Order: sequence, then structure tokens, then C-alpha cells
Amino acid sequence: MATPLSAAAFRAGAREAFGVPSAVLGAGYIGFGALALESGFSIWLALLSTATIWALPGQLVLVELHTIGAAVLAIVPAVMLTSARFLPMTMALMPVIRDRHHTRYQLYPAVHLVAMTGWAAAMRRCPELPLPQRLPYFVGFALVNWLACLACTIFGYWVSGSLPPLIKLGLVFLNPVYFILILSGDVRHRLMILALAGGALAGPLIHLWTPSWSVLLGGFVGGTMAYLAHRLIRRHV
Amino acid sequence: MSDWRIWLLVLACGAGTYLWRALGVALSGRLRPDSEVFAWITCVAYAMLAGLVARIVILPVGTLAASALGDRLVACGLALAVFYLSRRNLFMGVGAGFLVFVALTYRQATFS
Repeated sequence: MATPLSAAAFRAGAREAFGVPSAVLGAGYIGFGALALESGFSIWLALLSTATIWALPGQLVLVELHTIGAAVLAIVPAVMLTSARFLPMTMALMPVIRDRHHTRYQLYPAVHLVAMTGWAAAMRRCPELPLPQRLPYFVGFALVNWLACLACTIFGYWVSGSLPPLIKLGLVFLNPVYFILILSGDVRHRLMILALAGGALAGPLIHLWTPSWSVLLGGFVGGTMAYLAHRLIRRHV
Repeated sequence: MSDWRIWLLVLACGAGTYLWRALGVALSGRLRPDSEVFAWITCVAYAMLAGLVARIVILPVGTLAASALGDRLVACGLALAVFYLSRRNLFMGVGAGFLVFVALTYRQATFS
């Protein structure tokens, strides 16, 4: 199954994920490792959450809600709500990377690696690649991200005792900055600009009304408004 | 919470998160990539992420809430400016954002 070309695509993805994408993503996980230590999680629990949840917002919700003593029945749905974006993200990724030769035994394990950084890289780079190389490229990229973040979880847990609070705060702040740059770098056509603007407007407004539903509802409302505005403009120009 | 229960909790959160990804595979075959429904779903996905990031910057919960809104906005703006001036160099942009934010927050003396 692993042709020389797909192995090369896997290596290309892995190579591109090394350096800045993994380092910056890893910085968020250094912060998470520090938070896990402060919240009384063992290093193994922190690693398990990075390996299985593999979504920083969900992991932060888990640690924070557990710290304030929320019930399991309140924690699991909240974590799932912050990760609901993976449904449309994976649906959007599938037609881009799927080859008709792929079996479910390749696709279902591969999509566990779907997260913001690897998803954005695959959405940007894969359309330029031949179809059989796209899945290996994505897996190579996302697997390096995942392994780097496991290493950074350990590192953050380990060094957090000696980090000044200001530097720790700066590390937490890396996450929104990184996402803003990645998303703005993705802006290529009007529909995407409208979607980003709609979401950025709707998300915080809906958060004021219902924090736990703000990500889902904000995306639904902002994205739908952007889509409708795009159709309206297209019809009148 | 006893030891085994927190392990189950983390695993349940992991399984719940994976469910969305698996559902994405299961449901994707019913959509054509150039269909209007697909364009709408991509819009929703981007809007969710933009909304989450905007919320983290404007209305943070947790440790970031101790910093000033103005500092966060200035740091994000300068990070964007450096990102584009450096021809979309992510490391330069992110590094600028980190340094500006840390410097501005230090000046506020909340964390010194």
C-alpha cells in the first residue's frame, strides 16, 4: 500500500510540520502541562488527555471543570461541545483528501489526528497534490504535531514550577495569536472573509448569552449569515 | 473523585471528541465538495474557529482574564502587522505577539 510516492508525501508533511507549526502548537501544550500540574493531574492523565482528546480547548475545559468539582455528566458534554467543530472540519477535509482506494481502516484512524493546525495545513496544501498523496501528507503533518504536543505536555508539566507567571501567561496567549495568523493567512476569497468576520462577531456576542453553547451557536449563526450574505452579493453583482 | 473515575472521565472526553471526527467521515460521502451545502459547512467551520479565537481575546476565561483587553488587542494587531510585513512568517508574527503582550502586561505591574 505504501508506494514510494505516498511515503514521500508522508515525509513532506512531517517535514513541514516540524519547526514553527509544531513549536507554536507545542507552546500551548507547555501551558497546558503547567495547568495540569497546578490542577493536581498526574503526568499520565495529562498525557492521556493530549493523546485522546487532542484539542486544547476541550482539554482546558476538562481541567478547569474538574478543578471546580463539576459532575462527570456536566464535564463530558462541555468538552464535546468545544470539540463539535471537528464534525464540519472533518466533513470539509474528507472530499479534499479522500481517494476512492482508501478503506475505512485507513480513514477512521487517520481522522483522530484532525485538529486546527493539521487541518488548516491539509486544506491549504492538499488541493495542490495528486490525490493519492493527500492522505499521507495529512497524516505525516498531523502525526508530527501530535507527537510534538505529547512531548510539550511533559515539558510544560516538568518546567512549570520554575516559570514566572508572566511568561506562563504569555504562553497561554500564544494560542489565540497563532490561530488569528493561521486563519488570516487562509483568506483567499470573499466567502472565507465573510465567514471569519461573521464568526468573530457572533461568537463573543453569543458567549455573553450562553457561554457553553457559544462556539457551536456562534459558528452556526455567523457562518450561516456569511453564507447568505455571499449568495446575496453574488446575485446582485 | 477516586483514581479510576478520573481516568474514565478523561477517556470519555477523548471518546466524545473522537465521535465528531468519526461522524465527519461517516457523513462526508453524502456531500459533493462543490455543493452549496458543503460551502455552507465550510463557512460554519471557519466561523466557529473565528468565534472561539475572538472570544478568547475579547472575553477570556481562566488565567488570561487577568490581563488587560487593550494589551491583548494591541498585541494581536502588532502580531498581524509583523506577520504580513515579514511576508507571512508565522514565527515572526507569533514571536512579536508574545513579546508585545508580555511587555505590555509587565508594564501593568499585575504580574511583576
